[in-house]
Amino acid sequence: MINEWISIFIFLSAFIWYLTFTASRLDRLHHRVETSWASLDALLQQRAAIAIEIAHLAQADPATSIVLTHSAYLAREAKISERSEAEQALTEAFGYLYEDDLFPVEHSGLSEKLTAVNKKISAAIGIHRESVTATKAQRRRLVVKLFRLAGSAPLPVTYPFEDIAI
Amino acid sequence: MRIGIVSPYGWDSPGGVQVHIRDLARYLIAQGHFVSVLAPVYDENSPVEDFVVPAGKPISIPYNGAVARVLFGPVAASRVRQWITSGNFDLLHIHEPAIPSLGLLACSIAEGAMVGTFHVSAPRIKIAFAIAPFVEPIVEKLNARIAVSEVARETLQIHLETDAVVIPNGINLKSFAGAAPRLEWQLGKTIGFIGRFDEKRKGLSLLLEALPEIVKVHPDIRVLVAGPGDQDDFIKDVDPALAGRITFLGKLNEEEKRQFFKSIELYIAPNTGGESFGIILAEAMATGVAILASDIDAFRSVLEDGKWGALFANSSAQDLAIKANQLLASQSTLDQMAAASPEGGARFDWSVVAEDILDIYEMVREEGQPVTLAADSRIWNRMMKGLGGN
Repeated sequence: MINEWISIFIFLSAFIWYLTFTASRLDRLHHRVETSWASLDALLQQRAAIAIEIAHLAQADPATSIVLTHSAYLAREAKISERSEAEQALTEAFGYLYEDDLFPVEHSGLSEKLTAVNKKISAAIGIHRESVTATKAQRRRLVVKLFRLAGSAPLPVTYPFEDIAI
Repeated sequence: MRIGIVSPYGWDSPGGVQVHIRDLARYLIAQGHFVSVLAPVYDENSPVEDFVVPAGKPISIPYNGAVARVLFGPVAASRVRQWITSGNFDLLHIHEPAIPSLGLLACSIAEGAMVGTFHVSAPRIKIAFAIAPFVEPIVEKLNARIAVSEVARETLQIHLETDAVVIPNGINLKSFAGAAPRLEWQLGKTIGFIGRFDEKRKGLSLLLEALPEIVKVHPDIRVLVAGPGDQDDFIKDVDPALAGRITFLGKLNEEEKRQFFKSIELYIAPNTGGESFGIILAEAMATGVAILASDIDAFRSVLEDGKWGALFANSSAQDLAIKANQLLASQSTLDQMAAASPEGGARFDWSVVAEDILDIYEMVREEGQPVTLAADSRIWNRMMKGLGGN
């Protein structure tokens, strides 16, 4: 009898340990998603700022300036549900610059700045997408769903622009 | 920034990972960062750089088809704990966190801003799947993962179901510039091979298979073979008519390696597979030499699909001979390729590679907290102390 109680006790404590382990693992993953999104978001803001800087250059072609400024502001002010589309539009606006050889800024250093930010953005996208995938995979586990280990944390999502932003 | 770097392998044993960490640490220190490298050290009396903290004596275990000098166990774990607590690091950069050594320990013990670099490619699939459940919750703590090549990245995607940013290994471009050829190695039309030649996947036998076809077109061709291996054992299977054209140089030091590349007309890398990155091609490019390499994934990406050197169909002696004959037929083509290749090597200079790594550091650090012992590891410490007190 005693032996049975002891084994039940051991089993229960092991199970509780496993639950806390999984919960703290999840918590860490959610935190990682927040961090990776924050750095991606900051970089995207920087990109919008560069767009506005380019638009304000004296040599800039006025039509391009309007398109750039417009899409940069939309991207900055977009709600989370509109963000994907807005960032995509900004990418396209940058695309016109290069396509039509309209880049007005031989000596301003903005072209280099843009290239550098874009490079960082693609790394940040990779990092963010990875943390989202890892979190989602954990959230799908039965033990997590059954014991509501994720609490009230929202399920992280990847946005389509993360595939095509650059 | 206070940066802690963890090396999984013995600091005083040779290896690409250690060289990579050493160069990176030096670059970061030159940029004004504080760097401390925790590494196993085999010989306690061997002189180490002052940024290295010895963690104990590594043991040799067979791992992934080679002997790895690694370090783990409770003593090593407490060294890691000590190093993390006293280091006050803003960020940890852990190399090979999935290999049973200091990297894995540090990754499981620490908490905060962490970056991991994966060097190894394609460990045996069954074993990798078997250890994944242990490794996954630990490696998951890394804020960002770096793979040194596309091949290493694929290994990660397949075995650990996780993705990584690719940042290649670095070289010191400056140290390769201005190398001089060695007269005794410049004997007419010379092609060169470098690597452990008795290893099949390095492909020397493929080159020798192609050699008769090359000799037909270029009767004065000579072959320089550099790298460690048993040459007597190798040469006895080679046609004596060809053997006379081959000179074995043995293992070269860094300086000799540069002279080697400068002395030959065409460098051939006939590797048939198993390469994760191909730093040797980056080094050849940096020195300035015409290159012909097999079209395995690792080499294609280093040579940017043939932009910085010619490619032949992997494992095809016939294609190797055809491409080599084409290149050797025109001295001006060889000269042009040699003159252009340092620009391709510049992509791997530390000034580029380390800045990419620093970008990742900045991204990870922005929101991440400084490095401390993980919460569960702190509780463990307290419990152990509590038990000891009773």
